[in-house]
Parts: sequence; structure tokens; C-alpha cells
Amino acid sequence: MTARPPEARVPAPADADAGKLPPRSRGVIALLEENCTVCMLCARECPDWCIYIESHKEPVPGSAHGRRVRNVLDRFAIDFSLCMYCGICIEACPYDALFWSPEFSYAGSSIAALTHEQGRLREWMWEVPLPPDPELGRG
Amino acid sequence: MTPAEIAAAVRDGLPAGVACEPDHRGVALQVPPEHWLAAVTFARDRLDCTFFDWLTGVDEQAAGFAVVVHLYSLTGRHHMLARTLLARPAPVLPTVTGIYRGAAWHERETAEMFGVVFEGHPYPAPLLLPAGFEGHPLRKDFPLAARAALAWPGAKEPGEREVPRTGRRLAPPGMPEGWQPP
Amino acid sequence: MAAVDLPAPRPAGAGTDPEIAVLDAGQGSQLRVFDAGLACCAVEVAAAIRRWQAQAPATVPAPVRNVFVVAGTVTDKLAPFVLAAYQQTPEPRRVLSFGACANSGGPYWDSYCVTKGVDQFIPVDVYVPGCPPRPEALLAGVQLLLGRGPAR
Repeated sequence: MTARPPEARVPAPADADAGKLPPRSRGVIALLEENCTVCMLCARECPDWCIYIESHKEPVPGSAHGRRVRNVLDRFAIDFSLCMYCGICIEACPYDALFWSPEFSYAGSSIAALTHEQGRLREWMWEVPLPPDPELGRG
Repeated sequence: MTPAEIAAAVRDGLPAGVACEPDHRGVALQVPPEHWLAAVTFARDRLDCTFFDWLTGVDEQAAGFAVVVHLYSLTGRHHMLARTLLARPAPVLPTVTGIYRGAAWHERETAEMFGVVFEGHPYPAPLLLPAGFEGHPLRKDFPLAARAALAWPGAKEPGEREVPRTGRRLAPPGMPEGWQPP
Repeated sequence: MAAVDLPAPRPAGAGTDPEIAVLDAGQGSQLRVFDAGLACCAVEVAAAIRRWQAQAPATVPAPVRNVFVVAGTVTDKLAPFVLAAYQQTPEPRRVLSFGACANSGGPYWDSYCVTKGVDQFIPVDVYVPGCPPRPEALLAGVQLLLGRGPAR
């Protein structure tokens, strides 16, 4: 990467696969809120402490005397300025609420813009590729 | 040289205080501090360990500070690990830069990280820590200030709005035993 | 055998080039990227610059010509030198923080010797998240810097 005049630049290699990332590329983490039971395992296992979860308990509607209680997610945020994309949260989640997505273009103009809240994490779900066909590769 | 041959050479060439344990790669020596220079010189001259790999320290808490050096022989293809134990209040060890010049930076790092003093070191200045850094970071009683100061997001129980003040409180993984958040 | 002195490091003489990449931004304009490649992210920046010519932005608005990219972990010991390199970047300049370590300390935020983000001492215009970010993410970050990036 030394300074060169424009004429002496090395031509870029053919980039045929620039648009086709491997399906398991670690670009961003998506949250499927319906699957989350607020078990807090992802927040506890994260080595960077970059998952912020807030929740409260509510009685399950329809249970007698409000006896059964469930957790309700108030806030689920991932601070991607700290995240090191290790995937431990996705592996730790027992309910398949977190997914990898290959999307990577989410640079921000401020550090706060790199903390993605629930809404944005759900939008990433649309970028999560379908799981590979389990029948492939057999036989 | 086979580990047995090395052990025999060590028994002959070094004082009785040096304990020698052959392992599958070579030999591990437990050396009293007063025989440290003799042991390292012996390794270079008699065991043909011409390759100095690394020198570092271990905080053994009550027992003191261990200084470990790893040497290798390119011709004999055997390893030598020499380990010494220094008293905790004043850990002092003679420098091995006279034997292996490359140990200079390793000793500088061990000195700033553990507080071990290497006598005779040609340039005992901090290597990796910025000027004005206080403390010796790799000692076991040096707290990781950032982890202690920040609230661990996983401390809350599921469904709790705030961290529970009494009862079972989960300490974050990686913190020393008995550590309690402030 | 006697101890052998290690060779003394040679001081950088006149004429040695700093780490600058000159990119053709198209239509006669140039974007000069000064990369402070401190750690692993430097490899991704190198890959991005290598691949960049084919996908560079079409025009570069006049105020933006120099981009100071900090790619990698900034330790407390190295921070004054990163600051000096930033101050030597000619105007007009923008700063792009590349990777988790440069953004906020990243996985080493708890270390005793890591600066928690390069924005602790220089003003940053764009933060590119990733560990490390893809080379294409650097291009996306530069497009955001130039005001034509996808505002997601």
C-alpha cells in the first residue's frame, strides 16, 4: 500500500463473488422476539457484555388468579460497537431467537447508531438466509 | 538428546538443589533463584539450547512469583523449561541477558507486569505499559477496573427490572472468586 | 558461546513512504486513504483498497479528499502516535473508525492498556462495525462518509 501514481496502480482482482456471501457469514445478529423467553443466557454468556436486556414479569392471561407468570421483554439491544461476532449468544440461546445474517453495511455516524434496538434487530430477520436443506450432502 | 540423557547431564552438571523432571519433549527444571544463572548457562552451553523462546512470570499468590523460561535446542530437538520461585515481598532475579541477548524485552515485560526486578538488566524500562501506569497488571490482585465499574447486563434475573440486592447474585464469568459487584 | 548483540533498528530515512493509498474515485478526483493499520483490521483494509478501484464512488464532493482510517486496537501506549498521525493528515480530512477495537475498545474494552475507542482523542466521522468488518464494509463506510451511503 505504498503511494503510487494512478497509472501504476495494481488492477483489482475480478470480484465475481462480491455479491454472493457464504450463507453462514457473520455479518449481523438478528432477533426473533417471539422466540425469546428472556432467559438472559445470551446476556450472561456474551464475553463483551454487549447485550442489554430489560424485562418484567406479567401474569399469563387466562391463568387462575394470575398464578402463572411469564417474562415480557422490554428492551433487547445489541451494541455492535463492542460486539466481536463470536456467536456465543446465538449458540447459547436455547430457543433459537438469535440468528446470523450476512448483512454488513450498517456503518453509523455515531457510536449510538451502532447499538441496535429491538425494531432494528427484527428488521435484520428479513436478511437471515434460510437454513440449508438437511437432505443435501447425504449419501 | 533423550530426556533421560538430559536428566543425567543435569544431575552431573548442576548443583543438587536443581530438580529435574524429564517429560516427553525434554526436561523441566525447578531451579532455586541462586542457581538461576548457572542453570541457564548450562542449558545454553552443555544442552545446546541455542534458541531462547520466551521468559515470563506466574503469580503463585502466597508462594510468590515464579519466573519461567523456555529454551530449545535446534540440533538436539529438545525443549527445556526452567522455573524458579521468588519470594513475594521482594522478587529479585539476576538477568539472563548476558546469556541470551533476546531475553531483554521478555524481562522488561515480566518486570512491568509482575514487579519482578531483574538485576543487571541493561535497559530496565517499561516495554508495553504507557508512562505513568501504576501497578503491575498481571498480578492476581490487580483488578480489571472496567469490569468492576460497569454493571454486568447479565446480573439481572429473567423478569427482574433491577438487579436483586439480596439473595443469590450471579457474578460475571471471568471475575476472581469471591468478587462481589460494588 | 558469547552473547550476540541484536541488530540496531534502522531509522526511517528520507524518501520512505508512509502508508498511503491513492485511489481513483473516478472523473479525475482522488481519494487519499491514510490507514493507521494497527492490528488485524489492517488486513481487511488492505483487501478493501486492493479491490476498490473497480467499485469506487463515481465522484467525490470537493471537501472530502483525505480519509484517516484507524483500523485495529489502539493501546494507551500507541495513542499519542495515532494522534500525531491524525494531526499530520492534511486538510480536508475525515476520520473513519474501522472495526470494534477502534470504535469502542471492542473485545478488549476491559483491558488495562487499551483505549476504549479512538474517539477518545480524535473526532470520528464514521464508525464501521465488525470484528473485523468485511472489506466491502469499508467501502460502505466511505460511501456513508461521502454522503451517499444507505442510511439504514
